[in-house]
Formats: sequence, structure tokens, C-alpha cells
Amino acid sequence: MRKLVTVFLCLVMSLLQVQAQNRTLTGKVTDEKGNPVVGASVLVKGTTIGTTSKEDGQYSLTVPSSAKELVVSALNLGTKEIKIDKNASVINVTLTAVVDNLEEVVVVGYGTKKKSDLTGSVATLKSADIESRPFSSVDKALQGKVAGLQSVAASGQPGASQNIVIRGVSSISGSSNPLWVIDGIPVNSGDASRLQTTGNLLSTLNPNDIESISVLKDAASQSIYGSRAANGVIVVTTKKGKAGKTRFRFDTEVGQSNTAYKSDKYRPLNATEYLNITREGLVNLGASQASIDATLAALGQGTGVDFNWLDNVSRTGTQQQYNLSAEGGNDKTTFFISGGHFVQEGTTINSKLTRTNGNIRVTNKATDRLTLGVNLNVGAVSQRAPLNGGSFGNPVLSSYFLLPTKSAYNADGSWNLTNLGGLHNTIALSEIDKRFLRQTSIRGSAFAEYRILDNLKFRSQYGVDYNVLEEDQYNNPRHGDGAATNGRAYSYYTRYFNWVWTNTLDYQQNLTKGGDLSLNAQVGYEAQKSSGYFGSLRADQFPPTTALTYPASGASPYAASATISEYSFVSQFATASVNYQNRFVLSGSFRRDGSSKFSPSNKYGNFWSVGGTWNIDREKFMDDLSFVTQFKLRSSYGVNGSNTAIGNYDALPLYGYGYNYNQLPGSAPANVGDPNLTWELNKPFNVGIDVSVLKNRISFTAEYYNRTSASLLLPVPLSRTSGFSTATRNIGTMKNAGFEFSLNVVPVLKKDLRWEIDFNIANNKNTVTSLPGGADIINPNNSLQLIREGLPINSFFMREWAGVNPANGDPLWYADDKHNATTNVYPGAAARVVAGNSLPKYFGSLGTTLNFKGFTLSAQFYYNYGNMVYDTWGAYYLGSGFGATYNKVARQLDRWQNPGDITDIPKYVYNGNKNAQSSSTRYLNQGDFIRLRELQVGYNLPKSLIEKAKLTNVNFYVRGTNLFTWVKDKNLPFDPEQGTNSATNLNVFIPRTVTVGLNVAF
Amino acid sequence: MSIKYKFQTLLVIVLLATMSSCKKSFIELSAPTSLTPDQALATEADLKVALYGAYAGMRNVDLFGRSLPVMGDLMADNAYQSSLNTNRYTFFNDYSDTKGATATDGNALGMWTAAYNVILRANNIINSTIAANANVNQYKGEAYALRALAYFTLVRNFAKPYADNPDALGVPIVTVYNPDLKPARNKVSEVYALMLADLNQAYTLMTSFTNSSMFSKYAAKALQAKVYLHMGDKANAKTAALDVINNSGFSPLTTSNHASYWANSVVRTDKLETLYEVSSDAVANLSFDAIGYLYSQTGNYGDILCSDDLYALYGAADVRKALYPTGTRAGLPSVFINKYPVTTGDLSDTKVLRLSEMYLIAAEASLPTNEADALTYVNFITSRRGATPILSTGTQLLEDILTERRKELAFEGDRFHDLQRLKRDVVRSANYPATSRTVPYTVFRRILPIPQSEIDANASLKSQQNTGY
Repeated sequence: MRKLVTVFLCLVMSLLQVQAQNRTLTGKVTDEKGNPVVGASVLVKGTTIGTTSKEDGQYSLTVPSSAKELVVSALNLGTKEIKIDKNASVINVTLTAVVDNLEEVVVVGYGTKKKSDLTGSVATLKSADIESRPFSSVDKALQGKVAGLQSVAASGQPGASQNIVIRGVSSISGSSNPLWVIDGIPVNSGDASRLQTTGNLLSTLNPNDIESISVLKDAASQSIYGSRAANGVIVVTTKKGKAGKTRFRFDTEVGQSNTAYKSDKYRPLNATEYLNITREGLVNLGASQASIDATLAALGQGTGVDFNWLDNVSRTGTQQQYNLSAEGGNDKTTFFISGGHFVQEGTTINSKLTRTNGNIRVTNKATDRLTLGVNLNVGAVSQRAPLNGGSFGNPVLSSYFLLPTKSAYNADGSWNLTNLGGLHNTIALSEIDKRFLRQTSIRGSAFAEYRILDNLKFRSQYGVDYNVLEEDQYNNPRHGDGAATNGRAYSYYTRYFNWVWTNTLDYQQNLTKGGDLSLNAQVGYEAQKSSGYFGSLRADQFPPTTALTYPASGASPYAASATISEYSFVSQFATASVNYQNRFVLSGSFRRDGSSKFSPSNKYGNFWSVGGTWNIDREKFMDDLSFVTQFKLRSSYGVNGSNTAIGNYDALPLYGYGYNYNQLPGSAPANVGDPNLTWELNKPFNVGIDVSVLKNRISFTAEYYNRTSASLLLPVPLSRTSGFSTATRNIGTMKNAGFEFSLNVVPVLKKDLRWEIDFNIANNKNTVTSLPGGADIINPNNSLQLIREGLPINSFFMREWAGVNPANGDPLWYADDKHNATTNVYPGAAARVVAGNSLPKYFGSLGTTLNFKGFTLSAQFYYNYGNMVYDTWGAYYLGSGFGATYNKVARQLDRWQNPGDITDIPKYVYNGNKNAQSSSTRYLNQGDFIRLRELQVGYNLPKSLIEKAKLTNVNFYVRGTNLFTWVKDKNLPFDPEQGTNSATNLNVFIPRTVTVGLNVAF
Repeated sequence: MSIKYKFQTLLVIVLLATMSSCKKSFIELSAPTSLTPDQALATEADLKVALYGAYAGMRNVDLFGRSLPVMGDLMADNAYQSSLNTNRYTFFNDYSDTKGATATDGNALGMWTAAYNVILRANNIINSTIAANANVNQYKGEAYALRALAYFTLVRNFAKPYADNPDALGVPIVTVYNPDLKPARNKVSEVYALMLADLNQAYTLMTSFTNSSMFSKYAAKALQAKVYLHMGDKANAKTAALDVINNSGFSPLTTSNHASYWANSVVRTDKLETLYEVSSDAVANLSFDAIGYLYSQTGNYGDILCSDDLYALYGAADVRKALYPTGTRAGLPSVFINKYPVTTGDLSDTKVLRLSEMYLIAAEASLPTNEADALTYVNFITSRRGATPILSTGTQLLEDILTERRKELAFEGDRFHDLQRLKRDVVRSANYPATSRTVPYTVFRRILPIPQSEIDANASLKSQQNTGY
């Protein structure tokens, strides 16, 4: 491998040999402290002649006699221009560190902007914030990193999608997931699996290949992405090579994981406990002694078996990753190559993800004016995931349902495949049955950039986002879901080919002679088409073995289908920003999107923004306040949209096919359709202040936003007598308002000691402001939630639990929302009330980093306050006898037993006690938690030591992820993170991971 | 600006302009697997495809796919839920005024939704403006029959029986597609009137018989006989039943072909016994949700068992007894149900209308005026099952006919609705939970709740929920 890399590098280099030469300059590039600067670019001004400084800061450059000035620059150290003295042969250069945030450049939509020019709300993350973490995808690494960006896991399955909400939910039926733009390509993201439980498209992207992430949070930054911007935009830029000697970097991390949060109250019962409570339930039911004996015998009494299913489906997972990269080049051509390997095992048996990926980017300045570039990022993921939710094959679910009196194994050690009370032996199935997802993604682009005039640049980029998912499933003929058909196997093929052609013209112009007033403008055109292709097949009737697992071995073809689904966009856009003395900046953007998703009368939409910034620190009167590095006020307003709530063909009234009868084709009305459907509108207002004082020792950003979302697409419930349950309509409005605050303080900054504290907090208040006819709607995505004017979206709505009647152990509910009376009659008599929200009121993180000599100690806490979590399957394991033949949890033992008992668990009655199992606030718990998201101790080997080994950096660390979780509500059954719906689903548990890592650079 | 730059600028502008004029069709994409209603119902052949879609709707898990045949016996005295169960239909095994399904019940919602789905599919065929010919008439006739069956299902499950009060609230009648309609409940009598009219249309329009899984002229007449019986209109019930018996050309089930008849899962074209059944083939079926799994003891379900008192009714020589093998479940001696034996491949179909039932209707409808006819028709059945002939008279004869009906139509979803139309209490064996061993006729849960989702979406129904829910 190493050899190949070297050969490749030689090839690249040989293409770029320098031309005619006249005289040689040498010198040393140093920083303010006199330390040599490695990899600084040294260029003859106005030419392409240049080189980079070596490890000792030395450079040597042959320059033509006409050369007048050198331009020397290095990352984070700014740029310096030096006159070339005709007689000099040695020119030493000292570069000054950039403290002035003014020159810092931020990636935004379709380009970059100087930080001082920003009028919008853009949060940025650097590679160090996300790389080498034990997360299978970058979305998971965002938790707590950005104020106002909520990143919540719903599952600990390696490769699972993460729920992301930026500044609140602004769609009722659509996804709240932001638009991901990777290297200029608006990519398909989210869960693309059709057969397996999850298939996160972002899991093929190696977080270690990412150079920066910009989160666009307001109109000024988002609206350039038009009809897809309302959920926020996450702009990912992958790593580029920097000129200089070829540098290698190797990172590795290995570790182990187990379940992050467990509650003793939700431990499944052991055999004795289960049989005792079941006996009690039968007595309470009034069963005869004969019937009790027979029932208990059938449930395994007397067998002496006591098997802990949960322990046996759980395990210690392993975690490892290896990343190698090389970068370098000269002033004309730079390259970056990387490869990575990532393996993660979940905390449940046979949950695993393996990723292998490679990345290459080459940029070449072909001429003074023409730059060409190409990059290719390829990732292959192989994932194995158990079933989740209510499936019999879900090992986590089954460990709460299967009786402890039934073992996974027979006495002779073979699988127990019978006598499991109608449930499946998931321990056997997880071995015998197969559930695989293989995902390959190719994200790449080629671009040409031509400087037509010194201030006019044309850029054309063709990008491709290509995802293939192969999903295989095998259910064996002996036991479980495949038994009824003597085995079955599925093979699903999913492909998304998404191409984007973007053309932009960038123009800069000083509007006044002195340059006091300047203009930056951009116009662009973009065409995009995403074509999904879906092949699905299944075969039944397999040979009586478990070794043949592909549909080819099935005797009876069962299903064979293929189809496509496409969407396309054509867009024109423009931005302009006017800068007056760097004090005032005014920006505007406009985009016109044409989308295939909408009917002919509504194909096009216009989106825009305006923004303004006042860099107060640039004012004369601030000159005396030299301790202020940055003091900036900014505000923006605009309109953008969201189309996640509408399918590719939802605007059309449709008859669907596949309603077949006797294997003859049948059709039926499938979609109500509405020619007036259009995208959801989002109108964000934002005001923010950025302050940085004492050379950035203290800096903070405070922001307030208020966004109105209108024309919300909603599946309006229809009278089902129409033959349809819902129709998608643009109705309803809602509002999100909130503040965000992030603070960075460096209390100690000594030569060998540096202490830094990061803090962020965000609050969002959502209000549904109008619904059709003012009528309440049950959330189409979650029947436990109500959508009502004046209430926040994601409000839980259910009957209110009033506890247990001490006299007889009956379950009680409040009869009305005033708590005037209680009833033991669940339906009718008890009233449904609004009972909290699934989204938190506040969330954020507190981080701290301590650097002492080579040591680093860092910690990050993530906190979440003010939401509720619903226990979806609580009816079964805590239902006071409901589902009597399934196991229960320890909390059930706190049941009422004798008159006068005060408890919150009703009397246990075999097969249920008066609807105690039915959904009510009994199963709703507070979701507040604080989690030690990350704790890391690292050590950088001293330079003196590693330089002998010709290394530039060696760092060791130990890191704990999700090491500790505190929850407020001790009745919370499982991990507090349960997606943005906040409903448990017995997924693979979220892991606590401990890893050791090593980074080596040379 | 030099000439060269001017040229380059021009080039870029031209390039941009070219791209902007990108064809409009680039953002006009049509659905790959669907058609607009105009396209989908354009020709006679399209109507036939739409008709299959309507038939497929009847296979829904909460219609004839499972819930109707299960609940029709479980809520009565034939089928009970084993203590070892997967928790399906628990609310219909153990129900009373204080226990059982609520307005949000999933089966009630599923049944309501699926029945109106079929009604929409049928309405679109009935309302098609394609020029009439024999085929178009046949398809429309079948659609009328399907619509009548859907309303019959709705009115029997969600409304008080006709015999209770014809003016009571029935179900909303919808005959034209309009997604924004919010209809109130029509009277029970209005729903019955629509069914009778639809079945008259069906009888008139249809000319051909395709197979047992599709409606034919006499299948429609058979349904009409059943509708009349539910209305207590014995004369018309008898006339309709006899029309089927005498004119349909269907042949009856006998002791010799009884076993093979029930073992068969293939759609029949031989006009033996089955007037109409809902087909589940090897591909289009409900898989694990198919009814057979709920009875079969070989799979993971097998929840529902045959009550001891029903089993005791079958004499030793009765061929029907063979459909109920005995064994053990949950440690208790149990009687299993084998009327839906095929659980792989081409699954067992759900019988909806059988010739045997026409004899039973004719027998019952002959009473009290013509006991001789009644005995003739009921013993047509007993003599072809190896059962003891019925010889009784007076009220005992009615009881014997009803018992024969229970024995013959067991596990086909009929028993509970017989008890409903006769306004009788459900009196059950010790197999059932003590809390619901007797379910008086007055128990409000004997009719299903109008689904909460429907009431939430349809203001006209706000005050029309069934009493008790």
C-alpha cells in the first residue's frame, strides 16, 4: 500500500516540474516566537513560481530576475509580502499569528466568506471536533457541539440514523432533518434502508475525512438553498491537501462498549419472581387451583430453568478504527489521499458495522487563471442489525417478553426452538437468520474555475452522490419468521443516483476609489436530478439446512418487483453583499427553485434573504478599547422552504397497482392528490451579537431567532368514509422562537498550561399557531401526540394516570383535566390531557479542556431538560398482568397486594387489570438527563523525542464516551435518548464506549 | 477590458443562458407505478383491473382476511381465546360493559377503514361512464354486490340490528367519491334499502360466472337472502334463497366430498357449494396475519380454540367433527379449528356465501308458517353431514335449525350476527373468562365503536358515537 502511494505521489510530482530558473533565494520562515514554520507557501508574486518551507522552516527557491516580491503564507499565520532586494540571496520571514477574527474564512453556501462579512448565523466545526470518535457517522458526532442543534440517537445500532433538529421543528408531517451539502453537492441523506431496521446514508462518510462543517441556521445563510433550507443546512467540506513536503498521518482507536444506561427497576424478572407474580395474578383472576396449576406448569413451573435473556442478548461490543492520510504538493498542485477502516459492534448480539473507505482530492492550477480539481470519496459499509420494535425477532424486545423459565438452549446444548410460548428464540435466530446491509457510496466531483478577470471568476462543478444499498435477509426454515414458509430469503437492491451541475460567477468590485465601499456578488445556475431505483425479491421454500441463505436457494419465488422514484430541480440564484469600510455589511440572496415534486401550476418558488452586520470593533470610538477583538451585531430575515413533507408524486391524484387478486393485476385509488400543493414556507428572523475580548480569551455569541413556518404540508385526516384516511394539504402555521448562547473562556493561558471552557445552551419554544378550522389533529406520525393551536408540536396527549386505589388495587385515571374525580374505567370516563412534550426545553453542553505540557484532559457534558419519554412497550412488562404469558420487569413487583397498600403499580391480575396497560401518563416519564458525553486524557510525546524518530507528532489518549448518565426520573425505563419522538422502541441500547487511541504524524 | 476577456465573458453568458433554457420536462416527472384516475379507468379492460382491486380490498386483515370470521365466532359462543395467546382479539373474547374494546380499537378502525376502501373502489366502477356492454355490466354488477357486502359488514358490526330498531343510527352512506365529504350516519333501514337496491342491480346486470372468488348473479341473490333474513323479512329471504337453490346450478356439499372441500384452498370453477369466497392466493395473501395462523397449532399463533359445547354438538358420525381435532394447549385439553388448514402457498380462502346456508335460510324463513318446508331444507343439510335428522316442531324446531346453522357455519363469522339479529344473549361455555361467560344482548360492546379517528375527522359524527363508548 505504502509503495503504491509513493508511486502515485511521484507521478503527481513529476507532472509539475518547475520551469526556467535564474537565481536562488533561501531563507527561514518562523513564527513570532522564532519557531520554524513547516509547510509555509513561498511564492513569487504574480507568478506560479513557488515552494514550501521544510521541517526546519528553511526554503530554497529559484526565482527569475524579474521577481520583485515574495508572498509567504501559512495556515493560521496569515500572509506576508516581502520585497526582494536585488542583491539579497537570503530572505528570512516572520509570520504573525492571526488573532484578528476578521480574516478568518467560513464556508457558507456556494463559497466562503470572511467572518467579518457574515451577516448570518453560521456555526462551524473543525476536524478536531469530530474526527476519531467512536461514532459510525458524522451526524452522531454533532451532539452538543452547536448551540441550537439537537442531535438525538434513537438506537445504539451501529450505523443507525441520528435525529437532528436545528432551531426547532418546523414541519408537522415532514422530517426535521437538515439538508446536507457535502463538497457542494446537496446529497440524499437519512435512512435509506427498506428491509433492515436502519441504513444511514451518512455512515459511508468517514468523519476523519472532514475538514470543516458549517451549520447554517438563519435566513441570510440558508436561503441560498431555497426550497430545501428550512430545516437548516449542514455544509460539509472534506479535507484538501496543503502544499509542502508530503505529510502522513496515522490515527487509530480501539476500545469496548456496553450499555450506557440501565435501570434496575426495569430488570426482567427471574423465574421465581415471574412464577410467583403469575400465581398471584391467577388467584386475583379467580382461577381454580387446577387451572392455576395447569397454567403455571405450561409456563414452566417445576422445570428449574432460570434463564436471563437480557444478559444473553447483551454483550460487550468492540470498537476499532484506523485512518491513514497523506497530503502535500506544490504551489501548483496539491493532493490529499486517505483511507480508513472502522469496525463497531453494538451492545446487542450480532449488531455490527464495518466501514472501509478511501478519499482522494487533487487540485491543479493549470494556468494563472484556470484551476482544475477532482475529488472522489468512496465508502463501503457492511452492517448487521437485529430487528427492532415489536418484532418477535427483536432480541431486545424478546428479552423482556420471553419467560425466564424457558432457556435458549436444550439440556444437550442445542437451540431450544420449541415451547417458547409462541415467541422466538432470538439468540438462536440472531445466529441462524441473516440480516445484512451493504452500502456503497461514491461522492465525487470535478470542477473547473476560471478567473475571467482579476475580479470575475467562473466556476463549474459537476457532482455525483451515488449510493447503493444491498440488503439481504434470511429466515431459516426451522424456527421463527421463516418456519411457516419453510424458510425465506429476501434480497433488496436500492440505488440513488443524484447528480448536480452547478455553475457560478463570482464578482468583486470596489465601488469607490479608496476601496471604502466594495461589492461581492454571485450568480449561479444549478440543475439536479436524483433517481432512485429499487429492486426487491423474495423466495420461499428452502432446503432443510441453515447454510443456504440467498434467494437463489429458495424453491418458490414469492415476490419480484422493481421500480424507480425520481425528483429534479432547476434553480437560479444570486447573492450580493456590500461592505463599507468593513464596518457595515449588507447582504442579500435570491433563489428561484423549480421542482418536479409539485404540480405544473406550482412548479416554481422564489426564496430570498436580507442581512446586515455592524462590526462595532471597527469603529473609531473602539480604538481605545483595544482589549476588544471583536464586537459585532448582525441581523437577518428572509424566506426559504422545505419539501420533506411531500413525496415525489404526492401532488397527483393517483390510482395505484398491486392490489392483486388471484394473481391478476388490481388497481385502487392510492393518493388523493392536490394540484395546489406547494412547499412549506419558513420565514426566519435572526439577531445576534458576537463578542470577543482579551485576545479571544473570552468570546461569546448570543442569538435570538423567531421563525414562522407557513403552508405546512399536513396529511389532513379525512372522513374514512371517503375511502381515504388522509390527504396532504398546505395548511397550518407554526412558530419557533428561541435563544442560543455559546461561550468560550480561556481562564488560564501560560506557556505550559492552558485551560479552556466551552459552554452552550439553546432554548426553543414552538407554538402551533393555526390549523384548518382550528381543529385538533392527532399527529399523523405519532398517535400519542396532539397538534393543537397554541400548543407546541410534539405534545403528548393521553389519559392521565391517577395512581392506584389503596383500597382494592384498581388502576385509576383522572376523570377530567381538573383532577376533580378519578375513575377505574379507562375509556370514556377518563379524560385525555396534554402531558408534556417529546422535545426538550433546553439543551446544550459544557466542555472543558486542560492542556499541561504534553498532557490534555478534556470533558464534555451534554444536558437535556424538559421533555417526556414514552414507554411504548410498557403495557406488556408493566401492565399489571396484561400479556400474562410474557415476562415482566422488577418494577412490577411493587404492585398493590393488600388493602391499604400505597403504591403506583396496580394489583396484578392475570391477563390484565382494568386496562391498566392502556396508554396513559403512567407510561410517560421525565426525560431530563446529563451525560458525560466525552472524557479524554491524552499525551503528546515531546518534540525532542519524536524528532529523532523523524515524526512530527505523536499523541496517545484514552477516551470514554457516554461514560456516565444521570437521569432525573428514576422510573425512566431505558436510555433517555429515544429519538425526537421520545418513545422507547427496544432498539439496540446506546453504548458507553471506552477507547484508547494513537495519532502519529510524519 | 481586452477583446479576449470580452469574448470569454460572452461565452460564459451564452453558456449560462443555454443552461437556463433547459427543457421544462426536466422537472415534469410522472409517477412510475401509478396512473391518474382518468388513465386508470379509461377502458373496459381497466374496469376489470379496478374490479380485482375491489375484490382484493375484501381480503384486508380486518375484513374477510381475518377479523370478520374470527370476531363473528369469538364474540359469540363458538370460539374462545386460549390462555396461551399472542394477545390478538383479547378484547372480543373477554368483553362486557366494563371491559373490552375502546373507541380507539385497532380492529374496529381497520374494519371501518377497509370497508369504506372497498366502497370507494366499487363506487368508481359503478360510476364509470364507459359505454355499457355485457362485460361492463358484469363488472358493474360485481361492484354493486361488493358494495352491498361492504355495507352489510359495516351495518352489522357498527350499528344495532335491524330487528332492534330500523330507525336507529346505521352507518354513513357514500356512493360518490368526494374526499372532503363529512357524512353523518344514515338510518339502519336506509343502509338496508341501499343494499337491497345494489343487490337487485347486481342480479340484473350480471350474466356470467367466473369462479368462486368472484360475485355472480346467484351469489348476489344469496347475499340478498341473508340481508332479508337479517331484516326479519322471511318471505323475501326464502324466495331469494330458493332462487339460488333452484336456479343457480350450484351443487351441494355431501358427506363424501366434505373433507376434500375444506382441505382445498384453490379457487373453484366447478360450482360446488361456494357461491362467494374471498381468495388468498400464494402471493397475494396476508402471510402471518392470515386467518389460518390464528387457528393452526403448528405455527406460532394458534390462539383461538373451539368451545367445548359446540364440539359436543357434533355426533360421532358427523363429517364436520373431523374439522375439529383435539389435543392439548396451555396444559389443557383443547379442540382445534381446522377450517382454514392451508397456511403455506395458496392459503385457505374465506368462505362468505355457501349453498348450504341457502338451505338453512330457507328452513328458518319457512317458520313459523311452513314447518314441513323447514324440516325438508334443514334435513337436506343434516342428511349430507352424517348428522341425526331433525324431527322437532314449534319453537324447538327453530332452535334446532339455529343450532344446525351454528354447527354448519361455525368459524365463518356468522354465529355472533345470528345472536344479534335474534337479539339473544351470548351464553358461553366454561372455556371463556368468568367475567364474560354471559354477554346479555344489552351489553353496549356488542356493537363496535365508531372509530375515534373517524369521529375526530368527521364533525357530523361527533354526537353519533355508539352508546357506552
